[in-house]
Amino acid sequence: MDSVRLKYVRLGYTYLVNNFLRLLLVPITWASTVEILRMGTEEILAVLGSLHLDPIHILFFSLLVIFIFTVYIMSKPRPIYLVDYALYKPSPVCRVPFSTFMEHSRIILPDNPKSVEFQMRILERSGLGEETCLPPAIHYIPVETTMEAAHEEAEAVIFTAIDDLLSKTRVKPRDIDILIVNCSLFSPAPSLSAMVVNKYKMRSNIKSFNLSGMGCSCSPISVDLARKLLQVHPKSYALVISTEIITPNYYQGKERAMLLPNCLFRMGCAAILLTNNAKEKNRAKYQLMHVVRTHKGSDDKAYRCVYQEEDPEGKCGISLSKDLMSIAGEALKSNITTIGPLVLPASEQLLFVFSLIGRKIFNPKWKPYIPDFKPAFEHFCIHAGGRAVIDQLQKNLELSAAHVEASRMTLHRFGNTSSSSLWYELGYIEAKGRMKKGDRCIRSVKAPNYGPWADCIDRYPVHIPDVVKI
Amino acid sequence: MVNYNNKGEDEERLVYGHRLSSIGPAKVTGEVIYEPSNIDLAMKLHYLRVVYLFDKEAVEGLNLSLIKLKEALFSWLNFYYETCGRFRRSDDTGRPYIKCNDCGMRFVEAKSSLTLEEWLNLPANSLRLLVPHHVIGPELNFSPPTFLQMTFFECGGLSFGLSWTHVLGDAFSVATFMNSLGPLLKGLQPTSSPNFHKSPSNTYNSAKAVTFDPLSMKKVGPVGDNWAIDPPCEMDSCSFHLTTQQLAQLCESEGDSSLIQPFESISAVIWRAIAKIKVGSEPNVVTVIKPGPKADDTFLRNNQVVSSLKADFSVAKAHVRDLVALICNQPEDETAQIAEQVGQDPGGSDFIIYGANLTFVDLGGAEFYGFELKGSGPELVNCFVDGLGKKGVVLVLPGPKSVKHKDEGRLVTLILPKSYLEELKEELKKEWPLIT
Repeated sequence: MDSVRLKYVRLGYTYLVNNFLRLLLVPITWASTVEILRMGTEEILAVLGSLHLDPIHILFFSLLVIFIFTVYIMSKPRPIYLVDYALYKPSPVCRVPFSTFMEHSRIILPDNPKSVEFQMRILERSGLGEETCLPPAIHYIPVETTMEAAHEEAEAVIFTAIDDLLSKTRVKPRDIDILIVNCSLFSPAPSLSAMVVNKYKMRSNIKSFNLSGMGCSCSPISVDLARKLLQVHPKSYALVISTEIITPNYYQGKERAMLLPNCLFRMGCAAILLTNNAKEKNRAKYQLMHVVRTHKGSDDKAYRCVYQEEDPEGKCGISLSKDLMSIAGEALKSNITTIGPLVLPASEQLLFVFSLIGRKIFNPKWKPYIPDFKPAFEHFCIHAGGRAVIDQLQKNLELSAAHVEASRMTLHRFGNTSSSSLWYELGYIEAKGRMKKGDRCIRSVKAPNYGPWADCIDRYPVHIPDVVKI
Repeated sequence: MVNYNNKGEDEERLVYGHRLSSIGPAKVTGEVIYEPSNIDLAMKLHYLRVVYLFDKEAVEGLNLSLIKLKEALFSWLNFYYETCGRFRRSDDTGRPYIKCNDCGMRFVEAKSSLTLEEWLNLPANSLRLLVPHHVIGPELNFSPPTFLQMTFFECGGLSFGLSWTHVLGDAFSVATFMNSLGPLLKGLQPTSSPNFHKSPSNTYNSAKAVTFDPLSMKKVGPVGDNWAIDPPCEMDSCSFHLTTQQLAQLCESEGDSSLIQPFESISAVIWRAIAKIKVGSEPNVVTVIKPGPKADDTFLRNNQVVSSLKADFSVAKAHVRDLVALICNQPEDETAQIAEQVGQDPGGSDFIIYGANLTFVDLGGAEFYGFELKGSGPELVNCFVDGLGKKGVVLVLPGPKSVKHKDEGRLVTLILPKSYLEELKEELKKEWPLIT
């Protein structure tokens, strides 16, 4: 009984705080109406006549209002629309079943059975399925991690995604004003953005940027950069490409912390078209509301948690530290505290503030209040970094299985595609028909083109066992 | 494991640039098990190495870029996922089965500095460079049952070399398997869906009670999980082509011109020739392997009929006509007995059939030349058998088809102890002067 009563109290509180201004309006309107009715027409006209208004005063006053109104309109940030996005679907020829991955590993590392065993345990618990893809160069025994193969992979994934996006949106390459390519671990010269400009013969005054070394979170970073540029350049289109090129980064040594990425990272690419052009408002899929960035780089542990380096034998790879989960949790907490005021309803914000004040002043042992984000968003796209990451974030944000389904299923079908993963998750939500007009998504709308999910969406969601027997 | 380490310099000149990868089904097969029958397991120590040679006209115009090629191969393997699984042993009896986990067929890309013409002029043994020589083991879990090598020639021609574990099926199944790749390479889409219930049944109707040990089978080993036997002596191979005309002449000379029985006639001549050479130890007992009833094309099967034959007379002095009659009429079908023997201890016992006695294999009806690329089949298909016993094997294959003749005779491949192969060739030249 008590919990039911508490539920109603909470519901009443939420309704009261979130609709406070509207509720206040009711008595005010009622009082004004009563007063006007009481006064009658003659008294109103008499009040207006006694104001002694000069034409000059009226003109000045009107101009002031217009001026203030114009300044207000001009200073509002331009709305940014996401016209559409396209996802790269790898050919099934690139697919890596667990058994093939393990067999190749054994042949490549014949003297390190413990490292091979470690990889098998990771794969069994990874949450990946049997359709994730690695680039052709990695399928060879031994792997052929040449610059040429890396370029081939980059061209295949990026150009396919861009071709798909341009045909969907019917935008021409020469209409692109801003180009941002982010790829963390492959940074050739000329850059990948130059490669795109060259292939599509884009304009010579294109504003192009190539972001590298910025990790799995780079897609929102690129979108943020595009947004800032679109504030400055009117009526422009921005093409953002988020990808990770696997070929040059396949670790061929035996250190366990560096073998982990081999097990999880897979091919993927997302091409996104953003614009501030008002005429796209009707056909755009989404509008960008907020981007929040939190940089934990000043903390040494956070700085070193994903580190590219050479192992004792001189082989280069990416080392993932054991603290990765706790650091991710910390970063999330910071990020949440920042985005909270922007998106949470007033009721949750008040509770959070009270809880914060209470912990600081009265008793530090009070449980910190975790705002309920669920009313703020209809959909969540959590980076599909690995099963452990999704589990941790689900726990931290107190989300249900349905909320993280898109993340888990993307991890199963495509693996960890790094910065493009959240776009695959968005694709999943759309393909399932769950995205409706007005929905907010962190991180009918009709989806006639389900992209890479088209041939398998009916098989999802699948049950992903805790441990898969290889 | 694959034997690449012992290549000589000459061999490297002929075939080079090997790149290894794995190919498998494009779609996830799922939790499927393929259980070989007793007859399949009887063949587990034998491997077929089949080589197809194509000229550039057959290949021209086909999009054989690596990605398109692999797409066709992956699409093909959707239907034959059992060739991409891995062997396991059942917990109770140790009986091998295949877990169809899509681990893949090993794929080898190679180049050759020779032209197709030059390859056709080389001795048969050289064709072994165009096919991988794998065996299953030492670890069952990590041994591909099949390897496929594609070698691209200098002139634009190419070859396919399939290394095949006999557990999966006989040479007729191999022909069906490879033929189904042709339309996919041409870019056609498959019209049916894969069948996920392909395990063979394990029942044999034996007409008589099983009372004796089959002569055609010999127990070896135990080999454990390494399905290979040490070659008992140095073996060598040679091939020669007999045209339809030569076969007709052979049958006429026997006096029975009504029916041309190429396999029986060829086998009789070779049997007698070997008997003549091996004075004092002539082979009285031989094994004859002929095709069984025609099976459904979607299934890979060991459908062959294995029979043994005993000659009560001196083979060396016999008339070919009598040997032909013996081969036609009196082989003792031992297939059921073989199945029975294997069934007694499927996990532990190891046997050989090819080479346990001098073995004659009738592959004349195998449709190897049905593997068509651009409307034309291969210039030449040859087949070798490994994991043999020391008595050797004689394979009677279909002859190369040309535009002129529908049935271009027979290609005979001998895999026999090196010690007497040369002598045998001289002896056979007496019968067939044109063989090289």
